[in-house]
Amino acid sequence: MRKNDDLEINAFVDGELTVDERMDLLAAMQRDPDLAREACEMNNLKSQLQLAYANPPGLAACNVARGRSPWLTIAASFVMLAAGLLGGWLLGNAPANPERFVMLDAQGRGQAPATADSPETRIVFHLTNPDQAVAGELLDDVEQMLSAYQREGQPLRVEIVSHGEGLDLLRQRLSQHKGKIHQLAEKFNNLTFVACKNTIDRVQVSEGIEINILPEAEIIESGVNHVVKRQKEGWAYIRV
Amino acid sequence: MRKLTSLLVAALMVFGMAGQSLAAAAYDKQKVVYHINYDNPKKQAGALRNIQNHINAVGAENLDLKVVLHGNGLALLLEPDALARVPKFKHANADDQMAAKIDGLKSQGVAFNVCANTIKGRKVNRETDLYNVDAGDIVPSGVAELAKLQAQGYTYIKP
Repeated sequence: MRKNDDLEINAFVDGELTVDERMDLLAAMQRDPDLAREACEMNNLKSQLQLAYANPPGLAACNVARGRSPWLTIAASFVMLAAGLLGGWLLGNAPANPERFVMLDAQGRGQAPATADSPETRIVFHLTNPDQAVAGELLDDVEQMLSAYQREGQPLRVEIVSHGEGLDLLRQRLSQHKGKIHQLAEKFNNLTFVACKNTIDRVQVSEGIEINILPEAEIIESGVNHVVKRQKEGWAYIRV
Repeated sequence: MRKLTSLLVAALMVFGMAGQSLAAAAYDKQKVVYHINYDNPKKQAGALRNIQNHINAVGAENLDLKVVLHGNGLALLLEPDALARVPKFKHANADDQMAAKIDGLKSQGVAFNVCANTIKGRKVNRETDLYNVDAGDIVPSGVAELAKLQAQGYTYIKP
């Protein structure tokens, strides 16, 4: 890669390059897939930062064409097909729960636009409290609510975002409610547990150990960014 | 001299803008819901103070303000002598001082809504254990109420 590429990519993403510089860089990207991927990633990062301020536009996927041989492509498609079949088989055996994953796409792709006047009640709980007695009450409240809505046939979607000191609830070693979380996740496909990666990274550094998160939880980049996004989408916000 | 004049003009503009923003600081009508689910008496008293300050700033006539209490938050309205009857609570904060604050806020139109799930789950008697809670103050679920109010345009505040 060329020197000053990072600076130039930043300027490119921000639309600050002159026409000539832009053409130069585009040409360089065509020659160098790594450079192109970096620019694409930078662009995605920028779009993600903008999530908090505006409705995100559809983000371009970071697929950079490489001069692959056709045989490699064919082999790759077979691998994909096999993975798809295996995945389908697994889903057929486990309770299928596609929405849960779709809605947590970190890039905000593939989710139905939520509006404030949507008939579905959507609540994001922001858990920052280290007291797991409080977290336990939250789980009880949420269970009561999910059951009541289910009984009455009303649509409800709940996310519990654990962030900062609230992360303990979703840590393998520290969670006092593993059984309850497992049971709730099995029973309700409209409930999602979300762990903040920024918190995980920070705690890993400060405690010097690897942190394992419960398998029921999804991991997203930033808890704060996520709850901001949800509120923009019209979800009710409740701080725990 | 010209520099001085331009400085003067700039200063005037800044003052002018400041005056304008002060004039615009009068608030429009607001719908707000305060969430209390903790039992620390100091924190609860602080929350009531926040609410009073909120009313002072916006004016009671411009405010539709509700407080939603559930879980440990019910301690705010729990009479001290009821504590022995409700073992699931660690605090009962509705002493004379707190009661006066609550009455003061109610007289300015603040509603205190209490979660029925908590009352049932913790075996609280609304009439004998809680300070001045009418049947109309009870909501089926504190959490669902918070969601409903936000959908109706209430701003959520957790002090």
